[in-house]
Amino acid sequence: MQKQRSYQSYLNRFGWLCVTPAIVLFCLFMLYPILSSLYYVTQKWRGATSTFIGLGNFVRMLHDQVFLQALGNNFIFMAVQIPIMVFLALFLAVLLNQEVQKLRGPLRLAIFLPSVTSLVVVSVLFRMLLQTNGMLNNLLIGAHIIKEPIGWLSDPFWAKVTIILAMTWRWTGYNMVFFLVGLQSIDPQIYEAAEVDGASKSRQLFQITIPLLLPVILFSLVTSTSGTMQLFDEPNILTQGGQPYNSTMTAAVYIYRQAFLVNGNFGYATALSYVVVLISGIFAFIQMRLLGQREPDK
Amino acid sequence: MKKTFVSILLLLCLVVAGVSAQGKKLTVWCWDPNFNQYAMNEAAKVYNKAHPDVKIEIVETGNSDNLVAKLTSGLQAGGVGMPDIFLFQDFQIEQFLRDYPNAFADLKAAGIDYSKFAPYKVGPMTVGNKIYGIPFDTGSTGLWLRTDYIKAAGLNPDDYYGKNLTWSQVIKLGETVKAKTGMPLLSYQSDNFDMLRIVVQSTGGQFFNPDGSLNLQGDAFKKSIALFKELNDKGLLYSVVGWSDWINAVNSDKAVGFLNAIWMVGTVKSRPENKGKYMIIPTPRIEGVATAANASNNGGSSWYIYDKSPNKALAIDFMKSVWASDKPEALEFYNTILKGAGAMGTYLPSQKGSNYTAKDDFFYKSQPVYQDFAAWMSKVPTLRYTANYVPMRNAVANAVLRYFKGDLKTIDDTIKAAEAEYKQTTGE
Repeated sequence: MQKQRSYQSYLNRFGWLCVTPAIVLFCLFMLYPILSSLYYVTQKWRGATSTFIGLGNFVRMLHDQVFLQALGNNFIFMAVQIPIMVFLALFLAVLLNQEVQKLRGPLRLAIFLPSVTSLVVVSVLFRMLLQTNGMLNNLLIGAHIIKEPIGWLSDPFWAKVTIILAMTWRWTGYNMVFFLVGLQSIDPQIYEAAEVDGASKSRQLFQITIPLLLPVILFSLVTSTSGTMQLFDEPNILTQGGQPYNSTMTAAVYIYRQAFLVNGNFGYATALSYVVVLISGIFAFIQMRLLGQREPDK
Repeated sequence: MKKTFVSILLLLCLVVAGVSAQGKKLTVWCWDPNFNQYAMNEAAKVYNKAHPDVKIEIVETGNSDNLVAKLTSGLQAGGVGMPDIFLFQDFQIEQFLRDYPNAFADLKAAGIDYSKFAPYKVGPMTVGNKIYGIPFDTGSTGLWLRTDYIKAAGLNPDDYYGKNLTWSQVIKLGETVKAKTGMPLLSYQSDNFDMLRIVVQSTGGQFFNPDGSLNLQGDAFKKSIALFKELNDKGLLYSVVGWSDWINAVNSDKAVGFLNAIWMVGTVKSRPENKGKYMIIPTPRIEGVATAANASNNGGSSWYIYDKSPNKALAIDFMKSVWASDKPEALEFYNTILKGAGAMGTYLPSQKGSNYTAKDDFFYKSQPVYQDFAAWMSKVPTLRYTANYVPMRNAVANAVLRYFKGDLKTIDDTIKAAEAEYKQTTGE
């Protein structure tokens, strides 16, 4: 009995020893910053000096129309871009999962490639293409699809479209890969049984494939939502920091400007970040409740 | 085994000693390779003649916003990774002097004679009886016009050359050229506040009260917005979004000209097809404002030394002996960078240099452009930047853009919208 106990405690100690480095790193790089940010949130920061203002930052946030507009833009991007992208990724995954095509490999690669390119390079290149007198407008006018050049970067509506297009271009392939993996794990016998029962291809898609892929779709939705809440690179470079007049400003760009460019007000920026994290968390929670618990009917 | 270990250790020590004894190093941060980096390189060359063991390394940050962000990170981290010398825009220095009062070296105490620099540059870098930087370039502005388009419209460029025009006269010119050639008069960066500010500054108007509070209700400001609306509505502006896109537009013949400062010389000269075509006339003035002048300023930066730098003394010696000295090689340096990049310093003794009055055959009728810019520089009305210039600039730029698009209906609405956004982004 004694030997059992001391062996147990030896295992315990050994276990803790193995975990300790990870715990130390976690405390240093995640716990400490989070706790200090609780302190920063109460400060009015001005460069090298800061003064205590309690919840003043949050009060200021409520009246900050620019931040509210930025959040609104985040929501618009989420509401429009994510369904389009998930649907497209799903569709492409099903298409490229068929046995027949020879080009399946290269096509999958081509669709996935955008997600591994440098965001900065992509944004700079897209800017060149999307100028009022740039290649895309010239192409569309030459093909008689439009008469006047579209202000992709100078019109508030089209600038939002540009951001959504850039995001979809970039992330569809990434999500498509997840769906492909999910599709591989579906037992082909289910499809055979459905064929025998006389189900059409589209019925198979909607009543078999999608319900079985629900965990992957959920994963895709949750990561896309939190990614869109943190959207930074495209608005910062592609539309030069939220142009035109804040119509593509997102929360992350605004936080960056507050912290680094405009005021050096890290206290306010931290308060804004808290709100963004909170919203991401709420969305993730809602999505998991709605989609996570449902078991596909066997 | 022990012998080889000791000998390797000794060798390493020698190498390390050798490397560090190789000499002192200064790190400089700036942006714009054709202008600021070029000027600093020339300065380094001059200094290295007398001090060949000093290595001056220049890091180019891409644009001034990147430098501000890098500097902020470094200062917030307690001085990690900070350069010895860095360039800073005049309009933003007051904000940083307020926010980081201990980061800048007091150069008046180090013996720099500020009476030899243009007063309007020394103002923003002065706090109490301390003065912090070495003034660099002037942003003296002019109206740059392509004479070939004016001729194509059947007009004679000499009717406008060197004349102090009003904006009504310039608009008439623009309408004629547009009617005959279809070219808009000015290329314009719509998300950038600078062109509007050039006009406001030329009227002697201000954005802030003497106590630092925002004041957008001035007559000069309203007249300036109205001017731009008129230019916009008459199709005389070619609008782009973004700085690099504007530079691109300037050099791809999208408009007859532009309103901007002397430092555009480098960009204009970088395109050989521009030779002989550009003339620069005095900044037009707005009518109906008593203090309006035919001169304005856009930009201009100065060099600052990081106070906590380990190489502070060396940096001060370098800047003093090249940028603030009356010695012949220092004055010759200013002369060189003027011709090389159109970089006109504000060190007054250097303005007797030969290039300051020379004709420049790249321009229409070999216009002595530097002489003109220097003359206009002395007439520039002083603008009060204050520490809140940047949020004001963003708020006004956004509001004016909305006004042009028709989102806001009147000038008063525009001013209200700008005031609201300013209040929200500064929390004041």
